[in-house]
Amino acid sequence: MAKVGVYVCHCGSNIAGVIDVEAVRALAETLPDVTSAQSDLFMCSNSGQEMIKQDIQDGKVDRVVVAACTPRTHEPIFRNTCEAAGLNKYFFEMANIRDQSSWVHQHDPFGATEKAKLVVASAVGKAARLKPLEDKFVDVTKAAMVIGGGVAGIFSALELANLGYKTYLVEKEPSIGGIMAMLDKTFPTNDCSACILTPLMVDVGNHPNIELMTYSEVIDVDGYIGNFKVKVKKKQSYVDWNRCTGCAACSEVCPGRTSDVFNQGMSQRSATYIHFPQAVPKKAVIDMDACISCSGRRVGTAPTIDHKTGFPILAPCENACPSGAINLSINYDPFGEVVEVAVGTIIAATGYKVMEKDAFKEMAPSSPNVITALQLERIISATGPTGGQLLRPSDNTRPKTINFLSCMGSRDVRHHTYCSRICCMYMVKQARLIKEKYPDINIFIHFIDVRTAGKGYDEYYTGARRMGIHILKGKVGGIQKVGDETLRVLAYDMESQENIEIESDLVVLATAIELPESTKTLAQTLGLQFDGSGFFRELHPKLGPVETSTQGIFLAGCCQGPKDIPDTVSQAKAAAAAAAIPLAQGHVRIAPTISEIHPEKCSGCGICVPLCPYFAITLKTWGDRPRAEIDITQCKGCGVCTATCPSGAIVLHGFEEEQIMAQIEALTR
Amino acid sequence: MSIQLSKEKIDEAILTIIANGGEGILQCVQCGACSAVCPGVRAGFPVLCRLLIKKLQEGQLEEIIEETSTWGCQACNRCTEVCPQGVRPLEVVFAFRRYQAKELAISTSSTLVQMTLYERGHAVFTDAQALRESVGLPGKAPTSAYDEKAQKEIQTLMDNSPMSELGLF
Repeated sequence: MAKVGVYVCHCGSNIAGVIDVEAVRALAETLPDVTSAQSDLFMCSNSGQEMIKQDIQDGKVDRVVVAACTPRTHEPIFRNTCEAAGLNKYFFEMANIRDQSSWVHQHDPFGATEKAKLVVASAVGKAARLKPLEDKFVDVTKAAMVIGGGVAGIFSALELANLGYKTYLVEKEPSIGGIMAMLDKTFPTNDCSACILTPLMVDVGNHPNIELMTYSEVIDVDGYIGNFKVKVKKKQSYVDWNRCTGCAACSEVCPGRTSDVFNQGMSQRSATYIHFPQAVPKKAVIDMDACISCSGRRVGTAPTIDHKTGFPILAPCENACPSGAINLSINYDPFGEVVEVAVGTIIAATGYKVMEKDAFKEMAPSSPNVITALQLERIISATGPTGGQLLRPSDNTRPKTINFLSCMGSRDVRHHTYCSRICCMYMVKQARLIKEKYPDINIFIHFIDVRTAGKGYDEYYTGARRMGIHILKGKVGGIQKVGDETLRVLAYDMESQENIEIESDLVVLATAIELPESTKTLAQTLGLQFDGSGFFRELHPKLGPVETSTQGIFLAGCCQGPKDIPDTVSQAKAAAAAAAIPLAQGHVRIAPTISEIHPEKCSGCGICVPLCPYFAITLKTWGDRPRAEIDITQCKGCGVCTATCPSGAIVLHGFEEEQIMAQIEALTR
Repeated sequence: MSIQLSKEKIDEAILTIIANGGEGILQCVQCGACSAVCPGVRAGFPVLCRLLIKKLQEGQLEEIIEETSTWGCQACNRCTEVCPQGVRPLEVVFAFRRYQAKELAISTSSTLVQMTLYERGHAVFTDAQALRESVGLPGKAPTSAYDEKAQKEIQTLMDNSPMSELGLF
């Protein structure tokens, strides 16, 4: 005979404000098998938990029902309480009288109380029939993968590697560094971005525990926390990276030209190129979309032999390479080289992209003098297309008036409703950098409102005002082209309540940051979800900021939402710490509340196999005929197979037929 | 003089504007993009778009009932085009105008056009007969300006509308 203890929680006024807790407790007392029924202001507090422990230790109860908030947050807490008192923790059952009664029926206290009584009765019915279960454990592959080699990926990888775990860093570009490597300086200290990032990139490149996989993409992920199998495609570069020394002799002779993505399209680069001067690894790749086959030979074919000299006629890049690393005779392979890597945990740090100016038709996007802030970043960067000179794109002259326009695509129902968080600061930064170097340039910044909430950020902003940068409250409505090169900014000054027109030589749009389109396929591969803003959804907005709903997969950086470098680094280190936990423990726990097949009852019909949403069930020949088998590491305990099995051969532990029936009986009494 | 904010007055103003077709008033975050492109604001009608919405959000419905700025709206709809919050400011302006008209607080700046509309069937009318003939078009355009029957219809409509109570025609 089970001895059930019922503990009703007031949850402050969350529950007691609506429900008559005493009535629920009194009802519980009358239920069959109940030997103790008590209530407390906060059951999750120390005194509440002690109450449960005391009853268990006194031998008064051997099944526990807590009627309180949600099992999502509190079930593990009370299970631990039971375990601490020496009871099997699966002898615990939770009745959610907050979400299911007091919250949804707050205008009907009587009805809510009646419903709470039913919910408690059903939990008692089930609790009396609970069976002891044991946790299962599986071993963990002690390695991690970080997807994305920007500042978030770099820090995650370094932390994991320093903890002693083998870490694979996968980056789609030929070099790590991400968008931070494109920046000139960083707010609020005006550190040179490359100077603080490059040493870290070198650390990553040299770290014995880090295996850099640049110019590579994750194409498939299989497995579960502790034991993932990741397929990584190495894109074909036509350059043997073991031989390439990064001397750039090949790119100097290459006549192919295409827009330089690293310079945000503000300059051209050759088809054979090195991503940027401080690239890690500093290796050349050949961009086949831009290669013009200048030697007259189709890529993938052997070179013709010069009948005079007897030597093969090679392309200029092949000829220029002093180490013979380039080979254009290799056939193009759309699948690239696929390697499979076994890891225990994965961190997605895939970053963001800035919106292109074309999205803003009222802002004269056709004008070369309307640029995005990231393009301006390249223009003022010493490694950029103008060598750090501030020259406007249309005629390479120095602009006299610059206007910065905020909230382009952010806080806008036509594009993204969220605040991109970094635009205010990067506009102030760029304005300050320009004003410091060229004090005669007239700078206007147009804000809806200034958002500089960060350590040292507001001082940075007030400093900008003191430097004579004009900051106007009011969103710019449009830009008119005056002649070929000058722009007229149609602004509004909210303080004076008047329209303002500013003739401007250069207009900088602070465009929103968003998740790149290419990341969407990766989300499917990893089983990640999106939030309302289109970024990757974290497990909990406050308490689970680096975890995802897929166990063993963590998030870092802007793929989870807009953030600046300090926040990105913090989150990257946090993600590394979270991802290291299973690796350090060496095993992962598998909850026993999953399905089990009783092979003697299984008829081998196979109905359950295609229905399992987690591909956990297979048919294995066992004795003389096929029978279903469940992979416990894949099973999530959803119960689809249990409900379907015509032979009743599948048991879902913790939700057995007798238990469910008892719940239904209590609810329909 | 400072204004006193009160919940009743704010609710009254917001509900009046919504009832007259300006639902977007609740979405406005006061960014000012509408006023930046508004030809009416540029022409010197300050209480249009952003400032009109601001005053209404503060519950200043009666205080600005005599405001003439709203009659400066040319219905070009650029405000709607640039608004990042989907307010459709033009609809708010027109909702306020409807409120003004219902309260018979029509600006003198718009009385002339109403009189012309009543008499000629056009709010703004210029005689272009000579110009039309010089380019080979019939002098009299096929509009209400040269059509007594159409003018009669317009007059009947206006006589039976609340506008007739203004005593302008």
